[in-house]
Amino acid sequence: MKTTFERLGMMLVRDYKIPPDSLALDTPFENLGIDSLGMAELMFYIEDEFSVKLPNEQVELSTVGHVVRYIDQLVTSQLNNNIDETKVVNSSQTL
Amino acid sequence: MRRVAVTGIGVLSPIGNSAVEIFKNACAGKSGIGLLEAPFSHRLISPLAATVKFDAQAHFEPPKLRMLDRVSQFALIAAKHALIDSNVDLATIDRNRAGVFMGTGMGGSISNDDGYLSLYHDKSDRIKPFTILMGMHNAASAWISIEYGFLGPNITYSTACSSSSVAIGEAWLRVANSSLEIALTGGSEAPLSLGSLKAWEALNTLATIDQNEPSASCKPFAKNRSGMVLGEGAVMFVLEPLEVAIKRSANIYGEVIGYGNTTDATHITRPSVEGQANAMRAALKSASILASNIDAINAHGTGTLLNDAIETAAIKSVFGHQAYDVPISATKAIHGHLLGAAGALECALSLLAMQKNIALPTPHLQARDEVCDLDYVPNHVRQLIKVDTMLSNSFAFGGTNVSLVLRKFMH
Repeated sequence: MKTTFERLGMMLVRDYKIPPDSLALDTPFENLGIDSLGMAELMFYIEDEFSVKLPNEQVELSTVGHVVRYIDQLVTSQLNNNIDETKVVNSSQTL
Repeated sequence: MRRVAVTGIGVLSPIGNSAVEIFKNACAGKSGIGLLEAPFSHRLISPLAATVKFDAQAHFEPPKLRMLDRVSQFALIAAKHALIDSNVDLATIDRNRAGVFMGTGMGGSISNDDGYLSLYHDKSDRIKPFTILMGMHNAASAWISIEYGFLGPNITYSTACSSSSVAIGEAWLRVANSSLEIALTGGSEAPLSLGSLKAWEALNTLATIDQNEPSASCKPFAKNRSGMVLGEGAVMFVLEPLEVAIKRSANIYGEVIGYGNTTDATHITRPSVEGQANAMRAALKSASILASNIDAINAHGTGTLLNDAIETAAIKSVFGHQAYDVPISATKAIHGHLLGAAGALECALSLLAMQKNIALPTPHLQARDEVCDLDYVPNHVRQLIKVDTMLSNSFAFGGTNVSLVLRKFMH
């Protein structure tokens, strides 16, 4: 199974034509030609790729590593939420 | 008012991507119109278009390209080529007195079409974050100012098919009246999405396919004309005071010397003889010349039944009996109708034709129409003794009529 870094890297190489060897956790997105507006667009596609829903809150994400950690947090918290919702449904069915 | 020179031309068009190439193809009558090869072509009644050959990825970094609709890509490349062609030293110009004046009829219509596809076809409630930035009409001109740091006015005119002629005229006024020292002006259009093609089709204005030769489907002023063919592309000019251009030994393509802009105020699509004639008269007046001083005309000449008949009548109204002596060229026969960029392309062709004292041909004009009985330079380029002053017409749905008066630069 691919890591979040590898999957994000694949997106950047495929859609943004970023050279793979320029990608590291500490790489700033500005260095890849992606500014704050570009980040807004990238996050749109991250929602699709990682099946997560971005909260409305503003977050400061300036490096590849920041985004990787943010995705991991979202995946984990939203997975837990889904499990909780499933439990509620199941428990209601048993009543 | 100062004299204003055109010192740079940048082109991306269906008949070539440089001034040299478009002039050569216009003289030869070589058409850039053809069958449209698109995934949706089978859904069009007449899948015709005049397309630009270019590789966007060769011009832009991928992250930036994601923010540029095709209309902005065209505009940026044409602006870059115009500036290179002008040999202007950007380090020396006063950027507060540098402006951008663009015309576009449909703006980022391909991006808007993509957005509708997500919303209505894919039933998605999520739309790409850049849709507004790519679809807005002023995106192309904004990108040009960002690229070159032009801090003066940045204005996009959207008057349908006369947009870029309005832009050129307005830029000319500001350089002529000394409010600006340099202007990048012209037009860009990228209308070849399924949505806009179907919308134009629904208006019954598009040409039917010439089964013998699809590239000859647009036949301005011919009896068997059936409509226009949509085209894409961009043409940009550098305008600067003639005095400055001479001082820096710039290559001068010619001068803009007059601009007339009038409105029909009668019907949203139907052109009026009076409105078109008034635009030509206003242009002549602003240039302080008479109709008899015009050596040739680049007609709006769309190839629709109505336009070509009305324009012919309007020319007769302005020129009187002299109308029969003025060579009239309708180059849309080969480059199609670039809508908001059409006037700019025709302005470029007019400037180039004057340099060689040539009247460009109106191709595909075999069948003469008794209503269109002027001299349209049918099918073959014509060498004249002198073509010093030309009128370039652009008329539009909505009724905004524009004529530009252009003059060859003579030392």
